[in-house]
Amino acid sequence: MFHQEGIKFESKWENIALVAGKVLRQENIKKQEWWDLFQDISNVCNWDEKGAHKIHDELRQLIKQHINQIQESVLSNNDEASLLAAYIREWTRFFQQCNYLPLPFRVVEDAMRNKMAVATMKKDIDQSLIYKLMLQEWNDNIFHSIRDKIHGAAMRLVEMERSGESFDKQLVIGVRESYVNLSTDHTDPLRIYKEHFERKYLESTDNYYKAHASAYLASNGVLNYLKYADAKLAEEELRGKQYLETVKSIKSVELLKECLVRCLVDSFRDQILAECLKLITDNNIEYLRMMFMLIDRVPGAVSAILNHLEDYIYQAGLDDMRQCADTITTDPEKYVEELLKLFNRFSKLVAQAFNSDTRFLTSRDKAYKKVVNDTTVFKLELPTSRATTNKTAPESKCPELLALFCDQLLRKSPLSKKMTPQEIEEKLKNLLLVLKYVQNKDVFMKYHKSHLTRRLILEMSVDSELEENMVEWLRDIGMPVEFVNKLARMFQDIKVSEDLNQRFKENLHDQEPTTADSVNIKILNAAAWSRGSDYVPVALPTELDEYIPSVEEFYKKSHSGRKLQWHHLLSNGTVTFQNAVGTFELEVTTFQMSILFAFNQRPEDQISFESLKLATQLPDTELRRTLFSLVASAKLKLQVLKMSPAVKNAKDFDNSTNFFINQEFGIFRQGKLQKRAKLSLVGRLILTTEKAKKEEEEGIVQLRILRVQEAIVKILKMRKTVNNASLQTELVEILKNMFLPQKKMIKEQIEWLIEHKYMQRDEENINTFIYLA
Amino acid sequence: MAEKMVVSTPNPSPQIKKKEKHQGPMFVLKRWNAVAMWSWDVSCDTCAICKHHVMDACLRCQTDGKQEECVVVWGECNHSYHNCCMALWMQHSDKCPLCSSDWIVSRTGK
Ligand SMILES: [Zn+2]
Ligand SMILES: [Zn+2]
Ligand SMILES: [Zn+2]
Repeated sequence: MFHQEGIKFESKWENIALVAGKVLRQENIKKQEWWDLFQDISNVCNWDEKGAHKIHDELRQLIKQHINQIQESVLSNNDEASLLAAYIREWTRFFQQCNYLPLPFRVVEDAMRNKMAVATMKKDIDQSLIYKLMLQEWNDNIFHSIRDKIHGAAMRLVEMERSGESFDKQLVIGVRESYVNLSTDHTDPLRIYKEHFERKYLESTDNYYKAHASAYLASNGVLNYLKYADAKLAEEELRGKQYLETVKSIKSVELLKECLVRCLVDSFRDQILAECLKLITDNNIEYLRMMFMLIDRVPGAVSAILNHLEDYIYQAGLDDMRQCADTITTDPEKYVEELLKLFNRFSKLVAQAFNSDTRFLTSRDKAYKKVVNDTTVFKLELPTSRATTNKTAPESKCPELLALFCDQLLRKSPLSKKMTPQEIEEKLKNLLLVLKYVQNKDVFMKYHKSHLTRRLILEMSVDSELEENMVEWLRDIGMPVEFVNKLARMFQDIKVSEDLNQRFKENLHDQEPTTADSVNIKILNAAAWSRGSDYVPVALPTELDEYIPSVEEFYKKSHSGRKLQWHHLLSNGTVTFQNAVGTFELEVTTFQMSILFAFNQRPEDQISFESLKLATQLPDTELRRTLFSLVASAKLKLQVLKMSPAVKNAKDFDNSTNFFINQEFGIFRQGKLQKRAKLSLVGRLILTTEKAKKEEEEGIVQLRILRVQEAIVKILKMRKTVNNASLQTELVEILKNMFLPQKKMIKEQIEWLIEHKYMQRDEENINTFIYLA
Repeated sequence: MAEKMVVSTPNPSPQIKKKEKHQGPMFVLKRWNAVAMWSWDVSCDTCAICKHHVMDACLRCQTDGKQEECVVVWGECNHSYHNCCMALWMQHSDKCPLCSSDWIVSRTGK
């Protein structure tokens, strides 16, 4: 190795520069030359103290010269396409050599690094100082001076493509690739690409559409513009995926999409949305879909469509209701059908135009709920007791009509007679769908329960399986559990009573045929059926009066700890009525029976109101009501009972009004007098006393007050302190399956609870409430 | 209403009826559906243990669908509770929750 001592930079550089120059220019070199290059560089670094630095500096000059030549040759191209082609060609070549030239110079790097006491063992090429140097030089010289020309040219090509001209895509892609690779910054390797290529691309896209989109809109109108924007968004996204960098670490395509949405959609948002209501009204699905897709790309913008949809559904629903007000206010079936038609219409719109997007379904529900609970077509005024001085706000009659329709379907009625159980089930399901939207479900519950009571007591259900299924369906749609449990219990009671009758009759089997054969007993759970309803006295036919104790006796044998209360208000029966005309089977309430039997002793006599009061023992109001049902049954041409003098109203009877049996009574069918017939006088006669009925209606308000109080206490117990706003929200949440509490009622009950020391106001903030244990 | 009323036999013969025309009573009972309500014979409507109405089943029986089986129990102190509720109570105390006298069952509802 001795003879090598004294090797200096100066003696070797010429040769090194010669070979390195060939490498840079991609000229052919011999293997030996390549190996000698390694050897020479290594020797200089080993023996010449300053060799490494000198080589580094001279190499930089060499690279610079090379780059200057390239620059000249690239710039000699006049048209943009050949300029780009030349740039890309030269860059590709240069970049290849960037991976190649640094290899023999590695010793230079090691020597320099040792001096800087940096021990980096990394041998990756992009960690190489020479590699960086090469890129740095390219960047500082050629790139700095011609980059504006380069990407200007590239963007013009993209723009030409937008206008329908074709060109070699590789020219733009090549520029992008050079920018992506041209990076010496480790912390942000794509900085040059982002600052110069991506930014320019977005700018030129933005400029292009700023000019073209508004021009298109101005001359073609909004509807065509929707198509245009839709097409352009797709087209530009596809183009962007070709020309922009798509590695995961970079969001170029996302940025492009944002840019496109901004200039194609957001800038014309108001003009686009101005067409929305008309499209909805015209049911223009195709364009609505397009509008939705476009507007939904702008964050938050879709709420404008939602508002239009909500307004439309509410208005259209209401208009529809108003138009058929005449039929639907009197015919619950038509009413439910109409509501269902609306629901289906709106659902179809949401499905077709808005893909049944959950936001739109929510809007549909919100608006439909408003239609269902609207009070302009129907009103239901709840009477209030003296305790609450002010009237409650009117409510929709919807729950009452739904309950009525439900009864028509489940009761043996002219409607249900025409239908198969499957058809009835389908209608019930429709009804349940509407019911889900009813705010004050407690009103439905009240009516539904009283209709069910009638059906079960009068044994007039059309199908017991449907009846019991209905209970479960009500459970499924979220009706309050206590309510559903009570209904279920009513069915249980009926079954238990059937068993009881069976056993009772078996018990009497060996005896003579007696009253037992014509009597059927229902013994029901007072809580499930009619808690708190009054006992009404009535004189029963003697054999029934005598029969009752034996039932009670029997009941006591199988049960203990129970007390029985007879509810003749609910009991009913069939009597045979014979007169000169013929024989008629009359279905009557026990009260009606009591009145009619009073005439058995003196069939031809007139009996005064006062005497009937004594004979039947009925309270005044019940006697009036029952008598009136016998002298003025709406469906009869001839009445069973006649009065003298005649009055128009039950309250016009006085003690001396006389009543007598119509001995000419008969039934007309198709104009002919029948000698034998069956008919029901029970009719729609409500199986409840006037007083109980009023109490029951007041009861709804009372029950609501109670529920509101319970819920407020429950919330406070949990929260300890709560402000007014969240208290209101939570209350609605708790009570929504029963009714929507009115603000006024909530306020009153808060005051009541404060007064009764369940809670207090915060001294510093009167809108905050504190629980008092 | 002193006169005894006649209740029809299950299959009244029409011929006999015709003969009886104008002789028999004008109105004859054919069928009667009587309704009675039962409730526990208690002095207080609410079960002091679960705070529910005694006529409603306790919550546990309501959720188990055993409403029919949820009966009432009376102590010698004449206080009454759901039998289920009292059984649970007895695991912790043998006193009546209302009057604290020793709980001795006088009868159970059925
Ligand atoms: Zn209990
Ligand atoms: Zn229980
Ligand atoms: Zn006690």
